[in-house]
Amino acid sequence: MQFTEAIKIIRDFPASDLPRLHVRLMTGFTPLHLQTFLQAHLQQRIPGKCVMVQTDVYGDLTGALTRIDPAQASHGAIALEWTDLDPRLGFRQLGGWGPKELADIGENVHAKLSALKESLLNLPDHFPLALSLPTVDLAPIFHTPSWQLCEAEIRLRHAIDEFALWATSTPNIKLVRLNATLPPFDLKGELMAGLPYTLAHADRLAEAFAKLLAPPLPKKGLITDLDDTLWAGIAGEIGPDAVSWDLDRKTQHHGLYQQLLRALSDQGVLIGVASKNDPEIVEAVFRRRDLAIPRDRIFPLEAYWNEKSESVTRILKTWNIHADSVVFVDDSSSELAEVKSVHPGVECIRFDGQDYNAVHNLLRQLRDLFAKQAITTEDSLRRESLRSAAVFRQAPPGTSHENFLQAAEAQITFDFAAAKNPRSLELVDKTNQFNLNGTHYSEPEWRAILNAPNAFAISASYRDKYGPLGVIAVMTGIANDELLSVNTWVMSCRAFGRRIEHQCLKAILAHFSASELLFQFSPTPRNEYFQRFSESLLGEKPSAPFKISRALFLDRCPKLYHEVEFHHE
Amino acid sequence: MNDLRFRLVQCFSLAFPELKAPEVYSASASSVAAWDSMASIILANVIEEEFKVKLDYDVLPELVSFDLILNYLNENNQNDNQLRRSEK
Repeated sequence: MQFTEAIKIIRDFPASDLPRLHVRLMTGFTPLHLQTFLQAHLQQRIPGKCVMVQTDVYGDLTGALTRIDPAQASHGAIALEWTDLDPRLGFRQLGGWGPKELADIGENVHAKLSALKESLLNLPDHFPLALSLPTVDLAPIFHTPSWQLCEAEIRLRHAIDEFALWATSTPNIKLVRLNATLPPFDLKGELMAGLPYTLAHADRLAEAFAKLLAPPLPKKGLITDLDDTLWAGIAGEIGPDAVSWDLDRKTQHHGLYQQLLRALSDQGVLIGVASKNDPEIVEAVFRRRDLAIPRDRIFPLEAYWNEKSESVTRILKTWNIHADSVVFVDDSSSELAEVKSVHPGVECIRFDGQDYNAVHNLLRQLRDLFAKQAITTEDSLRRESLRSAAVFRQAPPGTSHENFLQAAEAQITFDFAAAKNPRSLELVDKTNQFNLNGTHYSEPEWRAILNAPNAFAISASYRDKYGPLGVIAVMTGIANDELLSVNTWVMSCRAFGRRIEHQCLKAILAHFSASELLFQFSPTPRNEYFQRFSESLLGEKPSAPFKISRALFLDRCPKLYHEVEFHHE
Repeated sequence: MNDLRFRLVQCFSLAFPELKAPEVYSASASSVAAWDSMASIILANVIEEEFKVKLDYDVLPELVSFDLILNYLNENNQNDNQLRRSEK
């Protein structure tokens, strides 16, 4: 981003009456450009709020941390540099660079990092903080040549690494990782104006902070082509045994792609195939033991001679996810364009097997698109639960849906300690179709909702004879004597068709004594499934918040076959 | 010249959004309250990007009005043109 563009983004943003998002930026130097870039990048990522980036006194990071008032700022960013740990490690102080000073500098760095740790520990554990470790190279303070790593430097870097290791284990802190491609340091700027970063570096660091504080939603599914993509060669022409992905035949980059897909599958990403191919030949390739992604990791596999977009349509239906959560990879630009024309939301990426750099970039790009903060039990269950969802949608011939539900041996566990489970917020943030109002929350906003007087948060886990689905629904609200107000209610699309939503309402009515339910409903372009559910109870689709009495719900609730268990706090 | 002047006005509008268009032509560090050392760095960065020039920290203290900056850019422009002609 150019500096001018950043100023324009900030200037042209219609602040009006949008809610404010206050971010505290803490640096040991004049944060001028970093502040401007950070505000611009955050504003681009959070268009629904007016972002305000505030700074503190420069050069006093620990003090700035103690002055953070979570009521005034909801997020923080710290650009830590060597000079924050000892001014002699920079260029604006003349405290000495000799061997005598080195030992003292080492002690100082340890002491400063300890103080910083203590200040960070005093922050509320739901205050999201992005932290960058020193990005500017150390000043020439060592007696060894610049191409030699000396013990003193290792000790300094070791202290930083230990601090970083501690920071990564702290749930609210995320560390910046920058790819070093541009020189970050501007000596003249540092000496003349206290601005150590080049504009390009300030932009890159600000963008990284913004991505950590307002992370993109990870994609959920990847649809891949086969010939000249998952493997090299056309299986139908050269035969299943001749397609390759190894070093000997200079096709290892296809093997790396397979390996990445397997890793993504391990973290819960759905992997499907859309290929114009003979299904029998494809299955023959998948029987090969040297394939880096086993056949059972792929669901569904669409190998036909029809348009790729038709296969993508069927896969999206099976996965029951929106096109904009999906990436499609193919070696053919025309196939990519055909899919894009029918499914504009799908991110289409070319696998160019002739260009090794492009494949390298593709592997990294896929990692970023599907990146997650943590891998949960639900992630490992997702693929299998989709298979069972497909079974649910297509009850075996001769079986009525009612009989099928009855025979499913379904068990639902309601947990009233959902507030403590990080999966709850994750589910709220990424669920669209069965979503009461589409509201997404930052961590502090989520905490505030859960800490409100009379607030409740309940989650539902599901399993049946086809396997477990894990935590698939979350509901929050306010419980008063007569009225139960539901503010948040989401359910994973993997759980549709099992009447779990009915059991959720039955459960809270059993737990609380209220005679009426108020749903803080709002229609969104994506919550059609929730609207249809509401219609089944109300007789018409709602357009605004609505109420349902206990008696009406019990009258219209279909027969439920789940075995229900409650876990209380 | 007119184009350069117009582009410089755009730069001033970005750096000093509260300045009305007619005020830009007579703007100076002494007449614009917001024109402090930080604002002059922001203005310099915006001008650098717009005109693809480097405004060094050494010359910044001298560029304290719209006219002075316009003259500086004009001179720079002429020097560049002369250099290009002599290279041919």
